[in-house]
Amino acid sequence: MKTRQILSRLLRYLRRSLPLLILALLLAAVSVILQILVPKRIGDAIDTIVGPGDVAFDALWGFLRTAGIFVLISAVSSWLMTLLLNRVSFRTVRDIRNDAINHITRLPLSYLDSRSNGEIVSRVITDVDQVADGLLLGFAQFFTGILTILGTLTLMFLTNVKIALVVMLLTPLSLFVARFIASRTFRLFREQSLARSAQTSLIDELVGQQKVVQAYSYESRAAESFDACDEKLCDCALKATFFSSLTNPCTRFVNSTVYAACTLVGSFAVISGGLSVGMLTTMLAYAGQYAKPFNEISGVVTELQNALACAARIFELLDEPLPAVQEEGPELPDSLRGDIEFSHVAFSYVRERPLITDMNISVRAGSRIAIVGPTGCGKTTLINLLMRFYEIDGGTVTFDGLPLSDIPKSYLRRNIGMVLQDTWLSDGTIRDNIAMGKPDATDDEIKTAAKAAHAHSFIRRLPDGYDTVLGEHGGGLSAGQRQLLCIARVMLCLPPILILDEATSSIDTRTEWKIQDAFQLMMKGRTSFIVAHRLSTIKNADLILVMKDGNVIEQGTHDTLMSGDTFYRSLYLAGSQT
Amino acid sequence: MRKLLRYMDGYRLRAVAAPLFKFFEAVMELLVPLIVASIIDTGIAQGDHGYIVRRVLLMVLFGVAGLAFAVTAQYFSAKVAVSFTGRIRRALFKHLGTLSYTEIDTIGTDTLITRLTGDMNQIQNGVNLTLRLLMRSPFIVLGATVMAYTVDHRAALVFAGLIPILAIVIFAIMLISIPLYRRVQERLDRVVGALRRNLAGVRVLRAFNKEAAERKDFGERTDELEHEQRTVGGVSALLNPLTYCLVNLAILLLVYTGALRVEAGILTQGAVIALYNYMSQILVELVKLANLIINITRAVACGNRVQSIFEIAPSVVSPEDAIPVDADGFADASLENAPVVSFRDVSLRYAKASSEMLSHISCDIFPGEYVGVIGGTGSGKTSLVQLIPRFYDITDGSLTVFGHNVGEYDLDSLRHAVRVVPQKAVLFAGTIRSNLLFGNPNATDEELWFALEKSCAADFVRALPEGLDAPVSKGGSNFSGGQRQRLTIARAFVTDARILILDDSGSALDYATEQKLRRALREERDRTVLYVSQRAGALTGCDRILVLEDGELVGNGTHDELLSTCPVYREIAAASGLAVAEGGAV
Repeated sequence: MKTRQILSRLLRYLRRSLPLLILALLLAAVSVILQILVPKRIGDAIDTIVGPGDVAFDALWGFLRTAGIFVLISAVSSWLMTLLLNRVSFRTVRDIRNDAINHITRLPLSYLDSRSNGEIVSRVITDVDQVADGLLLGFAQFFTGILTILGTLTLMFLTNVKIALVVMLLTPLSLFVARFIASRTFRLFREQSLARSAQTSLIDELVGQQKVVQAYSYESRAAESFDACDEKLCDCALKATFFSSLTNPCTRFVNSTVYAACTLVGSFAVISGGLSVGMLTTMLAYAGQYAKPFNEISGVVTELQNALACAARIFELLDEPLPAVQEEGPELPDSLRGDIEFSHVAFSYVRERPLITDMNISVRAGSRIAIVGPTGCGKTTLINLLMRFYEIDGGTVTFDGLPLSDIPKSYLRRNIGMVLQDTWLSDGTIRDNIAMGKPDATDDEIKTAAKAAHAHSFIRRLPDGYDTVLGEHGGGLSAGQRQLLCIARVMLCLPPILILDEATSSIDTRTEWKIQDAFQLMMKGRTSFIVAHRLSTIKNADLILVMKDGNVIEQGTHDTLMSGDTFYRSLYLAGSQT
Repeated sequence: MRKLLRYMDGYRLRAVAAPLFKFFEAVMELLVPLIVASIIDTGIAQGDHGYIVRRVLLMVLFGVAGLAFAVTAQYFSAKVAVSFTGRIRRALFKHLGTLSYTEIDTIGTDTLITRLTGDMNQIQNGVNLTLRLLMRSPFIVLGATVMAYTVDHRAALVFAGLIPILAIVIFAIMLISIPLYRRVQERLDRVVGALRRNLAGVRVLRAFNKEAAERKDFGERTDELEHEQRTVGGVSALLNPLTYCLVNLAILLLVYTGALRVEAGILTQGAVIALYNYMSQILVELVKLANLIINITRAVACGNRVQSIFEIAPSVVSPEDAIPVDADGFADASLENAPVVSFRDVSLRYAKASSEMLSHISCDIFPGEYVGVIGGTGSGKTSLVQLIPRFYDITDGSLTVFGHNVGEYDLDSLRHAVRVVPQKAVLFAGTIRSNLLFGNPNATDEELWFALEKSCAADFVRALPEGLDAPVSKGGSNFSGGQRQRLTIARAFVTDARILILDDSGSALDYATEQKLRRALREERDRTVLYVSQRAGALTGCDRILVLEDGELVGNGTHDELLSTCPVYREIAAASGLAVAEGGAV
């Protein structure tokens, strides 16, 4: 993305805040100009103090009063400017983030699945903050800095050309010094960050798995390897910290030399006439402050570049194309019956690698479909297509005879209940989690669902019962308990179609057995897809889909499949050997 | 934070030297206005060019000296900050190793990782800044006041009046804004939480059509964040304008006072300018000081968080007169009939839990036995076996291991003797060898291969070009789930542990492999084996099976005994299809 494009995108966010932004810049200008004029007035005031009995009090008063008013106005406007900039910056951050979530909740899963969550989080959080800090606050700093430099220079030239030249020519020296040091320390910082990330990954492992470390009495050896790693980091950190900290003393030295040169030139000018002592004081005050905005600006430039890079990353996410919004189809019944047809369906995750080439499945409402096959055979893909997490590349899929194009995704998903192998729970309470599909469910409904899923007894024993707050990873609950909650979630609002993906893999046999009753009840009259390992489930299925390498290679009932020399038969025989 | 300061030992001299050299640098700077005053009052007044040149050279000389002092100070402060933080980090890491499972559960490993990484960087930064800059600014502020006093004690009153007011303003703003910043951070965490939820739970959220609700929730959270940011931004935006205002008004007052003193013939014009310069120096330093205090408070907050981790004493520790497991030769044949593990009315309640995880468990396990532990989800199987190596302390009753109360042992020695293979297969970055040597660094290659053989991992390890030295990435991500599991089991076999506990470790294995594993376990007659599983089929071949239900021991006997006496077991077995005499499929 080109810089200009990025900026114009940003401007679009700023459009609403433009009046505020302009006002802020005006205030900044006022504040800076008055700040520059203050030393001038003070210099004038000092000129009225010549010696004993020779003080022009009236003039002194006048100068001091003007200076006082300047100080007050400048302070107030700089405060207001910060308030306005804050407002614009925080608001923009919020708007960009809201746009991001709007986009993320609509992006196809193919995009989200192919990127790490951390990467997206870092774009929406860190990068957005960088843009606000770098572009808005950085820009404000840049603006005031330039204004200060120009204003100061103008006043200096008006007061005394020689001193002004000395300051103007010598001050950039401090910039060069700062640059020089920065370029030398860059390498040291990179070494430091390498050492730091090596350590972080060690910490992630050894502290993240602290329990295992302890189980193997590995603590002292862990500490040894940590110490070795830490010493390396300390070594790099010392070098990077020390060398980079040379910048300030060195620029300060350059500045104090400039100050001395000004004193020399200025004093000679006073002696030869044409410059008053008060003016010299003003010039020295300017010389002291002149270098500061330079240092700030050079910092801001890198920050601006960084902010642009961050903005590009965010816009890249926001520009990711969304699936077309589905047009209003025909009037749909309250819920689907559950007839499903796949005919000549083709699908692939990566265009170059076809996965499903010609899938044909016909499922009658209310039947039970067992999906079997070795790991990686495409069971998850089938679910992705049923739920329409991914779009098919060819062929047709119909529900109750309706083509997918007539069924809005939200309607489709409302009609399918899903218990995945990956037991994801939202942060929030257990109640919230069970009521996910039906936020207005009553306590009784929730309890009934939990009881049906055999989750009630363990929930009751938790410190806060149904109000127990779950952490980000469903913290505190075992894999089995999490799975029971996921089942309860579906139990609460039973849709006509069910997908149960190894739904009981983390549940012990006894609980699983108990749940079977509930499942039987749940599946009655519903079209159910079960990724099953239990023989009884498979045997009782109305249709068994045998999958391999993405495709359904065999389908039929247990008996028909066992009657021939089938892949199913070999799977079955391998599984039943003791 | 205070208690962390002992890690400064040995660096105290340098920690003092750094600000001291900063002080020298400040003195050099503070002398400059005096030189300028003398140039004005003497050099300019008398038109003495030579005098002015000499004085200006003196200024440059002071600048050079200041640079030398500053560089020394920067080195010392960097050295102290880095070494100090390194020591804390290493000590903290060691401390984490001593924490028991209870503390790890309550604090959470994510928090511990942040303490060791982000917080440490903040501390290092804070110490470094404190040593090299926080000291410099007060020196200049106080120094300027002292210098002003030497110039004119009446004018110095302006300084004396201004500094406390400035200090109050700065600290008031800081004190108000720090808790506000914390709230901003909390709000930001909530935004991140909502975002993560939308990424990690995308399938479920979409399946339940929660997109719109999620967008609304996220919008509310960003609104809250914006609100807090504006509040704190409004407060901290006061800092610079207010200090600027105060200092400049003081300068005006100073010039006026100076004018009166000059009129009375007490001060010179040069002296007034010197006073003015001192006041200007105060402003520059105060602005720096203000910005620095933010960094430093942050560092102190991190320091306090780190200290609070140090203050957490491990709840499970070796007693003072700890005995090693082998102290009285329990392994002797003479004691063969004494139980290796004996639970007597044992109860366990986890910290903060409302009810007991285990209640009144009593049973014995004898040397060389192969014991199965079975029960439903959350029935307390894992809790039970974790008591034996004392990962948790029992709340009630008594637990004897190798003839002694489990609390009497030296923890290291106990955990060497009792080895647990956790449910989750965890490998560490390194090589297969380094992972296998995890629990027993002295094992020979022969022993490693033997262990791999027993855990059915030898074949695929042999197929790797590097064999035992094949690299393992972080988390073992370059191996499949089943391979990882087999390697973690192999790791457990590389041990001379007397008791080996497999906590549902076989569940990720395919049927044939698990069966081979069980056969290997059955042959481990020189040690006691506990095999925890959810599936009755996995426990065929066990000498004895313990059945847990809701934290209680409801069955203890052989498969056949339990079938006739224990209804819970009967149900479990029936569910696995084992009640049928001929065993059968899957």
